Amino acid sequence: MDYFKQFKQNYLVAFWRPLPAVIALGVLAAYYFGLMGTYWAVTGEFTRWGGHILQLLGVDISTWEYFKIMKMDGNSLTRIDGVMIIGMFAGCIAAAFWGNNVKLRMPASNIRIFQALIGGIIAGFGARLGMGCNLASLFTGIPQFSLHAWFFTLAMIVGVYLGAKVTMLPFFQSKFKLQKVACAKELPHDANKVKRFFTIGTIVFIAMIIWALYLIFVANSPKLGVAMLFGSAFGLLIAKAQICFTSAFRDIFTTGRSQMATAIVIGMAVSTIGVFSYIMIGQPPKIMWAGPNAIIGGLLFGFGIVLAGGCECGWMYRAVEGQVHFWIVGIGNVIGATLLAFMWDSFSISLATSWPKINLLESFGNYGGLFMNYILLFLLFLLILKLEKNYRKKLQAKGN
Amino acid sequence: MKETIIPTYRLDMQGEPCPYPAVKTLEAMENLKEGEILEIISDCPQSINNIPQDAKNHGYKVLSIDSSGPTIQYMIQK
Repeated sequence: MDYFKQFKQNYLVAFWRPLPAVIALGVLAAYYFGLMGTYWAVTGEFTRWGGHILQLLGVDISTWEYFKIMKMDGNSLTRIDGVMIIGMFAGCIAAAFWGNNVKLRMPASNIRIFQALIGGIIAGFGARLGMGCNLASLFTGIPQFSLHAWFFTLAMIVGVYLGAKVTMLPFFQSKFKLQKVACAKELPHDANKVKRFFTIGTIVFIAMIIWALYLIFVANSPKLGVAMLFGSAFGLLIAKAQICFTSAFRDIFTTGRSQMATAIVIGMAVSTIGVFSYIMIGQPPKIMWAGPNAIIGGLLFGFGIVLAGGCECGWMYRAVEGQVHFWIVGIGNVIGATLLAFMWDSFSISLATSWPKINLLESFGNYGGLFMNYILLFLLFLLILKLEKNYRKKLQAKGN
Repeated sequence: MKETIIPTYRLDMQGEPCPYPAVKTLEAMENLKEGEILEIISDCPQSINNIPQDAKNHGYKVLSIDSSGPTIQYMIQK
């Protein structure tokens, strides 16, 4: 059983390395598109949650244009996005419990609670204005060859920069003090709890698999079942490797680290060719309006995720780890998305729907568009390295 | 491993979300003298991708990481 112990320790308990995990996400996201006909995305479904809550409260949302665009048919158990998210939560829960990484973590101060709620609302609003979060308007949107995702991503980097400036102000800084000590701190280690948690993780994971198999083989909804399995893989990957799109771009400015951002670009490069091959055999890509909405949405989103400390998929795995901060971020995201749906009709024509949906594969021809996307990805990669260099230069100028 | 390492200072950041543990760590390291060791306690799981990498990038030595539980302990030497 030694080999199984080793497997358990290395693959189920320990954290995973981010770069291979992001590449795996890129590959899976391409297959997901091929099999499901839609991209890996989460905020659209969060918006529908908001819609369902309004319906429960007796609000008539049938005239709201945004909910028509989002298609409110069925519920979270009958929609691809809905069951995918259930799978994602199951993957995140399994990852957290297997890794003994569950602990009720209360926010350190009221300032953090304020940041979580306001940041979450701004990010939720911005994401839906830009027709997607760091997934549909970035990680899975760029490989769709939709120009709006490029607008969103570049604006988001500006928003992240502004957010980093604000959250590094003295007002937001940690109040924790450096203590002089004479020995290392003993951390609690309860072997029984570790075992119990591992079992909980396994039960949740197996239950999800049984549910997915039921959908595929009994309920005759193979698409929903497969979506759930994909979701669990996405959830496992982001939680086990602690993939954080917020920190990826923010920390280029805060501490001069670019590993995660470059990993994300590599993941998109891998995903692009996969998505391209499905489009070539007839799968229609998901293209959104390349209008001011993508730029304003990206700016707000970038600022919001940094203020909140996490984005729309990052809060999911942190919430199940017991980080109360991210329960608030998640609630903020749903409020922000719903708010956008409420306001949409007052500016949708001028900011979004009157603008063209630009598909790079149509603008430059199939192979021209493919190469254009790779050129843009390469430039984004260089931009990240340049920004990291700027941080180092500033640091040297400070005399370190 | 960690029993043999005697830290000079401790930064207990439990409850703080990222990026604050990483930012505070770098700030604290500036005040240490050559050879001194900082012990960082963080229960932000994401710090696993931040603190060790930042420490290396800034020329510090990561002596040990204990991530066996939800609260992670890092030992970093200037």
